[in-house]
Amino acid sequence: MAWRQAAIAGVGASRQGKLPDETPLSLATEAFRAALDDAGISKDEVDGLLTMPGTSSPEGAKHYLAVGEHLGINPRYTGSMSMGGATAGALIQNAAMAIATGMASVVACVFADTARSHGSRFDAAAGRGDSWGIWGMFGNAANSALGARRHMELYGTTSEQLGWVAVNGRRNASMNPAAIMRDPMTIEDHQASKMIVEPLHLLDCCIISDGGVVVIVTSPERAADLRKPPVLLWGMGQGHTLQNLEAPEWWYLPHQADCISRAYRMAGVGPADIDVAQLYDNFTIAVLFWLEHAGFVGVGESGPFVEGATRIGLGGELPVNTAGGNLSESYMQGWLHVVEGVRQIRGESGDRQVADAELCLVTGRGMTLNTSSCLVLGR
Amino acid sequence: MNAATGLSADPAEAVLPDVTDLNRPFWDGCAAHELRLQACRPCGHIRYPISEVCPRCLSADYDWRPMSGDGEILTWVVFQRGYQPTWAPLVPYNVVLVQLAEGPRMFGNVLPLGRTDLRIGMPLRVAFEDARGGVTVPRWTTVSEGSAVA
Repeated sequence: MAWRQAAIAGVGASRQGKLPDETPLSLATEAFRAALDDAGISKDEVDGLLTMPGTSSPEGAKHYLAVGEHLGINPRYTGSMSMGGATAGALIQNAAMAIATGMASVVACVFADTARSHGSRFDAAAGRGDSWGIWGMFGNAANSALGARRHMELYGTTSEQLGWVAVNGRRNASMNPAAIMRDPMTIEDHQASKMIVEPLHLLDCCIISDGGVVVIVTSPERAADLRKPPVLLWGMGQGHTLQNLEAPEWWYLPHQADCISRAYRMAGVGPADIDVAQLYDNFTIAVLFWLEHAGFVGVGESGPFVEGATRIGLGGELPVNTAGGNLSESYMQGWLHVVEGVRQIRGESGDRQVADAELCLVTGRGMTLNTSSCLVLGR
Repeated sequence: MNAATGLSADPAEAVLPDVTDLNRPFWDGCAAHELRLQACRPCGHIRYPISEVCPRCLSADYDWRPMSGDGEILTWVVFQRGYQPTWAPLVPYNVVLVQLAEGPRMFGNVLPLGRTDLRIGMPLRVAFEDARGGVTVPRWTTVSEGSAVA
């Protein structure tokens, strides 16, 4: 029996791209207006506010104060959370739990960032006092490259197979008028792009962008009276390896498999029931790991599965990242993955619509690969 | 300039560890060319990263125990992009995730830094790079497979 005790009633995104005249608050406002309009609900009904500070937001854990003041919301339930790319899913889960317990009736989940214009750096040395920087270990690409290398050597996964994930994202983005990167990309383009941290090429890496996204969560009953068909939360999961180096298999992120199996259990479904998937793609290798962790393929089998981008393409057995993802649509740290999941379930994705999409898996991960969250969206 | 790595010995240019009271025994060990990690007295767990309490049993009671200096490559990457002024002139350079014989995992580099003919599972032996801003840093050399490691 699926959980289905909360619903996504509205999604809204600001313009995406390089928006030097905007601030995180102005972009949050633009996205909030769009989400209210999408839901057909008044701001006065919003009594819950959950926020994720962007890389360019200075407020940290007090971010909700700035957003609430700016949007004129005095909620009965609020807070901010920073779990990187797992935050979108985690905040929507918090909102759903607040709805189910009656602590709030309409919760706005808010993210905005001006990472592109603000010049946010994603290349700091990770680690603690005995910093990894003394070994030249910098940046987010390297963390994912470590997993990619071991996957390649253990299972024969190739750089070209990773490239098909990028090509798939770009092909889908080309059908998405709101996507930033819409020019065609071939597998040859991917292979010819410069190396960043081997085995990852430039086109294995997501883009950096400015933008905002708001997701409005309410009860299934309230959602049924609003403008759009409710998208129900069938299942939700989290999994984390907060220790990284202390965890022997950290490179493979086994907590992601736990995260998804928890959501499947809550939804009463399995991988064969999923019609379309929005898989967090900060780097192409992430999609391969998700395919294995979600049980779409066995351990080590994701490389051949993505080859040619046919099975993961539109019309394939499991269309993936149908709006373009972090790689080509916009780097909204997974928030646009939720938006596209909602649109697929509503049947609103236009040329990118997956026929009869009844269940969508949306995943997110972040913080040096330590955190993960996922949602199973349905009707 | 250090001959082995090409890294600047000038403290102003180098990326240096943040030496604290907590981790000083590790760096003192490196200076003595010995890799020392924390071993929990009550439960025996050898841990890394360096931390105040044992993440298994939460005891704050531990010894600094010399490691064998043996390990193998768990995984590895090659930086083609320089993210930081000290390291930018050195690309391409490798970074390895080392599985120590005693259980913990730590980052490092295989000398020379430009080596890219690495494989997972390759046996490694710790090597110490002296006189880098007055700090000795543990790095690694490959051990030919099948050869006895004294």
